[in-house]
Amino acid sequence: MRKFLSLLKKEEMALFTSPIAYVVMAVYLIVMGYTFTLTLFMSHSPTLVHMFFQIYVMFLLTVPIITMRLIAEERRLGTLEMLLTSPVTELAVVMAKYLASLSLVVLLLVLSSAYAIALAIFGAPDWGPIYSGYLGLFLLGGALVSVGLMTSSLVSNQLIAALLSLSLFLLLWIIDHFGWVLPDPFNAFFVNLSLLVHFTPFATGSLFLSDAGYFISMALLGLFFTVRALAQR
Amino acid sequence: MPQPEIVVVDKLVKRYGPRLAVRGVSFTIREGEIVGLLGPNGSGKSTTLRILTGYLPPTAGSARIVGFDIWEHSLAIRNYVGYVPEDAPLYDGMRVIEFLRFMAEIKGLSGRAVGNAVVSVCDRLSLGRLAGMAIGKLSRGYRQRVAIAQALLNDPPILILDEPTNALDAYQVIGIRELIRSLAGRCTVVVASHVLTEIAKVATRVMILRDGNLLTDDAVTSGGGTPRYRLLARGPQPAVLAALRNVPGVAAAAVHADAAASPELATYLVEIASRPEAAEDLARAVVGNGFALLELTQEKPDLEQVFLELTRRADEAIAA
Repeated sequence: MRKFLSLLKKEEMALFTSPIAYVVMAVYLIVMGYTFTLTLFMSHSPTLVHMFFQIYVMFLLTVPIITMRLIAEERRLGTLEMLLTSPVTELAVVMAKYLASLSLVVLLLVLSSAYAIALAIFGAPDWGPIYSGYLGLFLLGGALVSVGLMTSSLVSNQLIAALLSLSLFLLLWIIDHFGWVLPDPFNAFFVNLSLLVHFTPFATGSLFLSDAGYFISMALLGLFFTVRALAQR
Repeated sequence: MPQPEIVVVDKLVKRYGPRLAVRGVSFTIREGEIVGLLGPNGSGKSTTLRILTGYLPPTAGSARIVGFDIWEHSLAIRNYVGYVPEDAPLYDGMRVIEFLRFMAEIKGLSGRAVGNAVVSVCDRLSLGRLAGMAIGKLSRGYRQRVAIAQALLNDPPILILDEPTNALDAYQVIGIRELIRSLAGRCTVVVASHVLTEIAKVATRVMILRDGNLLTDDAVTSGGGTPRYRLLARGPQPAVLAALRNVPGVAAAAVHADAAASPELATYLVEIASRPEAAEDLARAVVGNGFALLELTQEKPDLEQVFLELTRRADEAIAA
């Protein structure tokens, strides 16, 4: 456990001493502030549904930037060789990187809670959809970070890792559009692969175990393949 | 009594797709040895070392370190091996002390042991005044020292260094060489290099790899033809020479040209078939015939000649 905590500390330091984390936070807050103000003045209703969909898009675009360097950079610099010839398991290395990146995603969610607090002070929001929306975003973030980590483990070029995960995310965003035009039973298969189809219920205040299962399965699969990629060198 | 075998490699094979990088390499390393792994670039040195450190799995064959199979007990053997990869890869954004503390912690040290180990390696490698510096700002020589320092943090019984003097200037090379020599007796060291002179200066035994084949596991004794001894003896030269030539296995005996001027005290060069008691027989031949023996040393063959001879033989074998 002590070794794992050291790995986690090192990853947190690497993340929060790099400019990437701060650039991501700054862009995120600017876009979110703009969206919150605009939707509040347009709709005059104390809801965060529009915000949640905006954060969903922001996650698709920023998670590849957060995760691209995690393993690709270590592979390119050769530090991965030193790390993996130390007495630590591949699982510990992967989980430390995963949790460190997830902590930034959680920080972004915590920062966006300022809008919920503002609604609570100046209005009477329905808290159910807000709680479910944040839960959905947390699960989405966990799944995306895992897939981003996996693509970073497959290549040694950060840019390619980012483009790979971005392409995957965009494909999973729009894959339900292909599903709707396909015959049965292929339509259900492709529709159920969609990120948006599983995120929408969370954002609108409905909780389904299948939606949570989708994001958790994606996170576990991503972590599994990342560990396998490291174990295979 | 010979030291126990700490590394045992048996018919090790590594294949990268269609290319065979290591072709059935077998050797053993005894505790306390400083072994040089010599070979041109692409000869399979780094791959062999990466297999020994548990970083790469072998395609076939086996290797054991302190009795553990390197792949089955990969995690366990990493506690026994300190490894410095080629080009000293380090985290440039970390300070030296942060990096060493991090490495000490993931090597299983805790509490005060972390601080003590870091202070100890900083002292041994003269890194004390650089402890607060960012690694990215260090010179190549100091980066190499930091990389070696992290490998020594938990006092491993085996230290593996891959091309430790690569791209260093002459002063830095001398520093690293002295450092490796200073480790003699403290741990077993395996040094890989393509620079023949470097290996010759630090290693007690030299293995030569070429195209994934191990040409010899001891270039000094097996590759240089007949072993040669140098004796300083007092006595009539013809009589001493005759006594030496009577020793079984002696191929040639002659008076060394530099010392030939003195009729009584002379240096003799003797080539004798390789066997453990050769030196004893030579000493007995001199002393037993009533002459005084002042010095007896085995001359190491020129490693460059050995390397050329072995690679020539390998080329001939391939051509045949």
